[in-house]
Amino acid sequence: MPNPNNVAVVAEQFHGSLQQITLELIGAARFLSEKLGTGVSCFLLGHEISKLAEGLIHHGADEVIVVDDPQLKEYATLTYRRAVISILEHLGTSPPIVLMGSTTIGRDLAPRIAAYLETGLTADCTEFDIGDYEHKGKADPSKTGTFKNILYAIRPSFGESLKARIIGPWKNPQMATARIGVMQALPLDALRKGAVQRVSVNFNQEDLRVKVLKTVRDISVSVNLTGAKVIVSGGYGLGGPDGFEVVKDLASVFKHSVVGASRRAVDSGWMGDSHQVGQTGKTVRPDIYIALGISGAIQHRVGMANSKLIIAVNKDADAPIFKFAHYGIVGDLYQAAPLLKNALIKMAREKSLR
Amino acid sequence: MPDTGSKAGVNPDGTIDRARAKRMLNPFDRYALQKAIEIKRNAGAEVTCVTMGPPPAVEVLIEAFEHGSDYGVLLTDKRLAASDTLATAYALHKVVHYLGNFDIILTGLQTTDGDTAQVGPQIAERLDLPQITYCEQLSISGRTLSLRRIVEGGNQELEVHLPVLITVANSATPLDYKRFADVAAVKELLRHPEEKDRRIKIVSLDTIGADPSRIGIVGSPTVVGKTWKIGEVGGSCIVFKGESIEREVDELIDRLRADGRSVEELINA
Repeated sequence: MPNPNNVAVVAEQFHGSLQQITLELIGAARFLSEKLGTGVSCFLLGHEISKLAEGLIHHGADEVIVVDDPQLKEYATLTYRRAVISILEHLGTSPPIVLMGSTTIGRDLAPRIAAYLETGLTADCTEFDIGDYEHKGKADPSKTGTFKNILYAIRPSFGESLKARIIGPWKNPQMATARIGVMQALPLDALRKGAVQRVSVNFNQEDLRVKVLKTVRDISVSVNLTGAKVIVSGGYGLGGPDGFEVVKDLASVFKHSVVGASRRAVDSGWMGDSHQVGQTGKTVRPDIYIALGISGAIQHRVGMANSKLIIAVNKDADAPIFKFAHYGIVGDLYQAAPLLKNALIKMAREKSLR
Repeated sequence: MPDTGSKAGVNPDGTIDRARAKRMLNPFDRYALQKAIEIKRNAGAEVTCVTMGPPPAVEVLIEAFEHGSDYGVLLTDKRLAASDTLATAYALHKVVHYLGNFDIILTGLQTTDGDTAQVGPQIAERLDLPQITYCEQLSISGRTLSLRRIVEGGNQELEVHLPVLITVANSATPLDYKRFADVAAVKELLRHPEEKDRRIKIVSLDTIGADPSRIGIVGSPTVVGKTWKIGEVGGSCIVFKGESIEREVDELIDRLRADGRSVEELINA
């Protein structure tokens, strides 16, 4: 029997390949489960995906509960909802914690499961921890008490100017979704062993109300931004869509590079929203992040501040980005970018000659 | 929702002081409203906007009239304070029950304050409706809807029968709903109290028959344990300025050479 006391992760796969967010969530779940003295269970849903169970175990799962059913071939809210509910019913006791990704799947599915279970759900977390909590509020005597070893779901709040620790110790599972690219996946361990269990699900007509006709997905587009080694981003300071030619040109200097954009640049229609870094975009931490004409407002900063090296070019010496970048150039980006490009190439060539 | 651009307060319990914050239509909801107006024009419909908040939130409904909405409902009740998403969805689904007939519920993808994207799907769960989130395109033929929703790096094409709940992606179509706005007509209309009463309903938890133990702090399974400001980092940025741009770039490159980050390895030389 699977262990219902394990921290649970709802795995995401697309057409038979595991998504990076799932490996990140397993990393986070391991951290939590070690503090709780339990293990990690993954729920794996799809059709002809049983072989993926091993990959989940190699990345840190102790148990994998698989629902392999033709109805789950393509993601649809109601069929996946039924499958997750069936697994939870199969477990009998609710797991203490259920984690999902802040993806178009996780953000679609998690709230429905939480509402079905009448339990709490914290969205878009950037940190998780385990700790204690004492509730003293008078408005709700039923909630008063001291709670040990509960989930701290930590997320930015109110336009990203605050961080909030959200807790819901009164009912299990404590649910949360985590942003892409924030939690750390564990290194693959091909010798790791774990248990795999299958659960079958009875779908009813109500579960089949939405017909998925087609899913088109270019994985490279979505993976690139969070997986990129180098991101060169453009902001409102570019002055117009043509400015992204300069951004692309500088990005072309690097291996594994991707073009990013600030929200204002995306909102202005200068770049597609899949390139957006920050609050409503992606959270990234590349080896190098170059910001061209980006002021560094808090909603952008939280999406990229963990980059290993941040270089900013902006003509406004007072731009907030110069407070948290590693290096800054105050000046016209249209002059600086081509100079920087040539200087970087020269620098790399000199190094390779040595 | 409160205007996140204004200086809004945070209550001692970590929730947002919505009474003190200036109100505005949640920017994400404008896309939902635009979609509703588009459906009204293409397929014929009446559009009712529902909001929840303190009494001045009625301004949001009037803003929606200016953009083509027909009716407005404000759920206002002190007991709603500190409701989390689950409790909010409970309250709003009771409003929908109270109003009765509908074919489509449209919501914005998320708010810009809480940013959770949870309330739409949670209303759908409570109403036992199919849902389409991140919807960027839809067309209606009889009782059948064809939709396209965004997924990472692509999209899904879907089909569903009414009734349905849809959360509208803001990448869908640029906002142009103001084209249909008629601010003067709305002002004129609101000068007549009986017409205003006909168009705007203000309801409490009692009106809609909501269970007070399922809303507010009592009905919310989550609370804010603690908040803290995102720390001001930095001060350590090395800024090159006040020289020719050539010189500044050279100085940057010297630094990169010296600081041992192996930047060179990432360059196509």
